[in-house]
Amino acid sequence: MIKLRAPLFITRHVLFALIAGSLGGVAFVFFLLEFDHFTNTNAFCTSCHSMTYAEVAYQQSPHYNSPSGVRASCGDCHVSEGLIAATYDHAVGIGDLFKQLFGADYDDPVINLLHLPESAFTARAWFRDRDSATCNRCHVVDAIQGTRANTAAIHREETEGKTCIDCHYNLVHRKVPDQRTFKREAWNAMVEQEFGLAPGAAADLLAGPEAR
Amino acid sequence: MRARKKIDLNTRTGINCLLMMLLLGAFVGPQALADKVALDADDWGHPGGEDCASCHEKASPGLAAEWRSSAHGVAGVNCMDCHQATADEADAMEHEGQIIATIVSPKDCGRCHATEYQQQAGSVHAEAYALIADRVPALAHNLTGAAMQAAGCDQCHGSQVSVRGDGTLDPATWPNSGIGRINPDGSRGSCSSCHGRHAFSKAQAREPEACVRCHSGPDSPDKEIFEASKHGMLYKARHAGMNLDSDSWVAGVNYTAAPTCVTCHMGAAGKIPATHDVGMRNAWSLNSPVSQRQYLIVLEDGSKLELPAADAPPRRGSEVVKADGSIGKVKVVATPERRRQIMSLVCLECHSKTFTEGFMSQFDAVVELFNAKFGEPAQAIMQGLYDAELLTPLPFDEPIEFTYWELWHDEGARARHGASMASPNHAWWEGMYLVGRNFYSRFLPQARALAGERTGELVEPWIRQSEQHAWLGQPQQANPILGHVPAPDPDPAAATTEAE
Repeated sequence: MIKLRAPLFITRHVLFALIAGSLGGVAFVFFLLEFDHFTNTNAFCTSCHSMTYAEVAYQQSPHYNSPSGVRASCGDCHVSEGLIAATYDHAVGIGDLFKQLFGADYDDPVINLLHLPESAFTARAWFRDRDSATCNRCHVVDAIQGTRANTAAIHREETEGKTCIDCHYNLVHRKVPDQRTFKREAWNAMVEQEFGLAPGAAADLLAGPEAR
Repeated sequence: MRARKKIDLNTRTGINCLLMMLLLGAFVGPQALADKVALDADDWGHPGGEDCASCHEKASPGLAAEWRSSAHGVAGVNCMDCHQATADEADAMEHEGQIIATIVSPKDCGRCHATEYQQQAGSVHAEAYALIADRVPALAHNLTGAAMQAAGCDQCHGSQVSVRGDGTLDPATWPNSGIGRINPDGSRGSCSSCHGRHAFSKAQAREPEACVRCHSGPDSPDKEIFEASKHGMLYKARHAGMNLDSDSWVAGVNYTAAPTCVTCHMGAAGKIPATHDVGMRNAWSLNSPVSQRQYLIVLEDGSKLELPAADAPPRRGSEVVKADGSIGKVKVVATPERRRQIMSLVCLECHSKTFTEGFMSQFDAVVELFNAKFGEPAQAIMQGLYDAELLTPLPFDEPIEFTYWELWHDEGARARHGASMASPNHAWWEGMYLVGRNFYSRFLPQARALAGERTGELVEPWIRQSEQHAWLGQPQQANPILGHVPAPDPDPAAATTEAE
């Protein structure tokens, strides 16, 4: 009979701590998985009123309403795959929660729309930095056929050095120009017209209450 | 604001010399050719252009093929050469890594086609939006709805293109290839109005079909008028001899088969250079309640303006109000006689001087007839009814306002256009016959009904004034073809028998 003899430093206390730590670690991983899963849901994202504005255009888009029944959730596109990356993205997302609580009044539709372009630019940069990784969760460039005659050929032959987001932006959310051609005055004027505000009101709102 | 002081004879002679040079071109010969692009070939062939083409040959093969086989494509002028933009332009957008604009404005085309751009920018075509801007609310908006402005008026006259805050072009103003389009870069017009995208063929633009999209309809069915004329008959039968693809397209030199719209209104002929200032050779305004012979005023900034020749010509250097409301300084004044002379020089390539003068006198007589017999009295009667507050100032809320509008704008303009381009059918049946029918059977009865007891003051004087309405005072003048046939004389034999 083989007798297992634990090294002398494994005392009963150490053994207990190891077991408890392992179980705790496993529990934490499960917690993170569940937490990431939960915080990826549309319901969680739109629990902040400010996020419901992003939802309006999304619900009109093929990413929400696809004939095949595939529906991409907020997290499917905006949170990386993998436990560590997803957790990291969520940790970064706490910054948004901070802004929601202590920043401008993003729940106000006017304020929200005025700040939308910067959010869009940040999101696009995020996709670009990750080589549009979350798009590739569902879309495989070699498999794209499209409905028009040459969509497949375009994706095979014209995409070298490009990532999805380079061409496919303004796909799901309200249209925002590219950062290079964005014109703040024109955007403000559009918001003023849309909400019936006096010319110049948008700039005042952006400057914040202190400036007024 | 118009200068009304007479200019002395010497100044006028000087201006006329200057003007002749301007209208005839400062030199002859090569100027008769279409102006070739003066830039070096190094100035085009943008390095990004082939990437556009590679994708667009798959994404929009029709468009790409049109460009590839065009003069632009053959010369190596690519997508980016025309569509490139700087980020600060109002309609600039990012597309596949390039900053471009959808709209290629005349100013963009003018980067290479500088002469054509300058000529077009000063033409009546470039003013097409401003010319009707104050009519659009009454016609398009009140009478129908704003949707008609985008689908109707603006498609010919041009839209004021609006770029929305999100960088998109407002669909109420775009797509549009109206000839007086106000572009986001401030330039006016649309080269693709006549030179269809993306071939931009000069041969295509020389065809009368290039004009038909807008020069049609009740007021200016010019393409139908052309087709119904001897010119159109010859063009149709002898199309093969039109040499439309020729670089140089001088009437009487490169082709003699027939003239098209372009030949007379823009084309080179003899010493007359080609021009993209399309209204320059028109002596009359034909689309107005009463036609006017018109000065062509060339302003210091290169833009042009037309003013009635009934007034004294504005003095050189004086200030005048332009169609868009801004102020311009007069540089040169072309009299209607001079404008007619230029047009007539085109005729002389194929017709004798006597023939040409005879034709012009027939045309002028129709315009003068319309003015004196119908245009002026109708205008005066309407003014009287407005002044007497028998009509509200609001257009088209009273039936006579439609009657009057159609009298001068539809039937009247059609008659005058028909006479100007020798279509007997449009001058008469589609034109002046309907003017007469309208005037006597609709306009006058409606005006008399409105004037009521005041007809003797508001309507009748304008009718009595002209000898041409005197026939109304002879109700016993019969004509067997039109109704009344006098009863035959009683048969004397029958009368005798009865007496017995």
